[in-house]
Amino acid sequence: MLVLYLAQAVNSGLALGAVYGLMALGFCLIYNSSRLINFAQGELLLLGGLVLFSLSQTLQLGPVSALLATGVFGFLLGHLLYSTTLGVMLLAQPLRQLMLTVAASLIWQGAAVLIWGKNPLKLEQFVTMPALRMGPVFLGPNTVTSLVLAVASVAVLSAFLGLTRTGRAIRAVSMNALAARLQGVNPVRAQALSFALSGILSALAAMAIGPQTMLRYDMGFGLGLKGFVAATLGGYTSLGKVFCGGLLLGVIEACLTLAFSADLKETLTYSLLVALLVLAPTPQSRQQKV
Amino acid sequence: MRREVRSLAAFLAAVALVGAFLPNVHLLALNQHLFLALNVLALNFCLGLGGQASMASGAFCGLGAYGSVILHTMWPQGTLVIVPGVAACAFFAAAWISKPLEKLGEGFLAMATLCLCLIFVNLVLAFAPVTGGSNGMMVSVSPALPLLGELKGDRANFAALLFLLGLGGYIFAAMRDSRLGRALLACKDDSLAASSCGIDRLGVRAVSFGIGGAFSALAGMVLANSTGFISPGQFDLGLSLKTLLFLVIGGPGRLVRPLLAVVLLEALISWFHSLGEATMLVHGLILATALLAGYWRETGGFAWLPRLVAPAAKRV
Repeated sequence: MLVLYLAQAVNSGLALGAVYGLMALGFCLIYNSSRLINFAQGELLLLGGLVLFSLSQTLQLGPVSALLATGVFGFLLGHLLYSTTLGVMLLAQPLRQLMLTVAASLIWQGAAVLIWGKNPLKLEQFVTMPALRMGPVFLGPNTVTSLVLAVASVAVLSAFLGLTRTGRAIRAVSMNALAARLQGVNPVRAQALSFALSGILSALAAMAIGPQTMLRYDMGFGLGLKGFVAATLGGYTSLGKVFCGGLLLGVIEACLTLAFSADLKETLTYSLLVALLVLAPTPQSRQQKV
Repeated sequence: MRREVRSLAAFLAAVALVGAFLPNVHLLALNQHLFLALNVLALNFCLGLGGQASMASGAFCGLGAYGSVILHTMWPQGTLVIVPGVAACAFFAAAWISKPLEKLGEGFLAMATLCLCLIFVNLVLAFAPVTGGSNGMMVSVSPALPLLGELKGDRANFAALLFLLGLGGYIFAAMRDSRLGRALLACKDDSLAASSCGIDRLGVRAVSFGIGGAFSALAGMVLANSTGFISPGQFDLGLSLKTLLFLVIGGPGRLVRPLLAVVLLEALISWFHSLGEATMLVHGLILATALLAGYWRETGGFAWLPRLVAPAAKRV
């Protein structure tokens, strides 16, 4: 019986963990390139999902066109967030920049309420994968889809950051912005691109979570915060570790739900974050960046 | 210090004057603004003096409110012990928490303290038999002081908030000019240099964090007495975020400007409450505009304004 419960926890934990992993990657990209903690990360997911929902209502979207639309709108939303937050306050104190992302989060949430209302909206599953059984572990279609989407995103992002000139420029800025600038890299462009990439990742996360939990105007902040927890768990150092941090968080949360009430589960998750922040070395002190 | 205290006295006198003529319905709204202003002042001890961005205001405020209500229900005559006792508990809790968190940078400290706020709310929800859970608690006993009697009604809470703002403001100004304040400012400017000069960074920052926590707890006690009902929703991360946002807009380290920012911007935001579903969007826009205006003012971004205004003024 316990094995069955655990298998169920792994199934739901991986489905949610894939989403946390994508959010964590977005968080890391922005943090490493600009040292900014983006409070509006969850709203990128929300708006990305809602735009996709509206598109699916008017157009007949297949898997490829849905992925393409997600990428394009995610990129545009990420860029829009950059131009309205960090882009207008490049020289401001970090705290003021951080608070502007809080205000942006309110504005985007308000816009979502005005345009799409407060009722939850169900996003259809654009990419459908078959269920998978591995011994006692059963992965449902939603879980497999989320995992495939997330792993493919990590692979493409790794290739982009490692193999292309622009990707290497982003990595250079994340390691040392001044040195990168001396080598002819434009740090502002790299930061803007990190926001845009983060937008794409968040929109993909919306595509994964929309069919599972539906899209609600107030879902962004909680998911953004979980992304931050996952990024901290992963250590901000490499894409793979950060993504695994997301998966791990999802599974830990699912197991905690089995043992405790929902309120205590949240308490333990956030306690874990505080403990990690206190015990782990600060990300600023690390040499290797994403 | 004298100049700042005089400005604070003028601000409080103006608020008292407005409050004296306001009908009770509007006084309740003003009390809500002053409650937030007291939280902003409490956070100013941590951020303005110690340079630590905390988002745990909601947690300490809730600690004060729940502590006061539960203890007053058990011992209605114990105000003189309960109020300072709960404030002292909040002080020690905040000081104790601040030590391990001290090494975190601005953003990470903000996130860690935000988690403390969420932990508090979830604990209140989990221990429903004591706290009432999501249903909240009715405040059945008001605090009572010798000579003054029961602190009941909007006028009494208004007076209590003004007194606490005055007391907190005076302590803030006095502390900044003291040895402790200078040590805190040194930690804020360059924590490594401050440590090498022999300043006990953990100790001094724990004191500022503790004082901030204690004033937030006092604000929570007055809020509970003022609204007559407490629930976890009143102390969630919205309160912490708003508190930090207003302090950043007003300018951390300044005494009167953040308080003024709270009262004016909150009044403006309340004015837009009738917009229905557009309210959140307008809130965000107001706060973003205030943040951007502050940034442009600091960086000379408004330099074009005189050029724009001068020809028009000449024509007039």
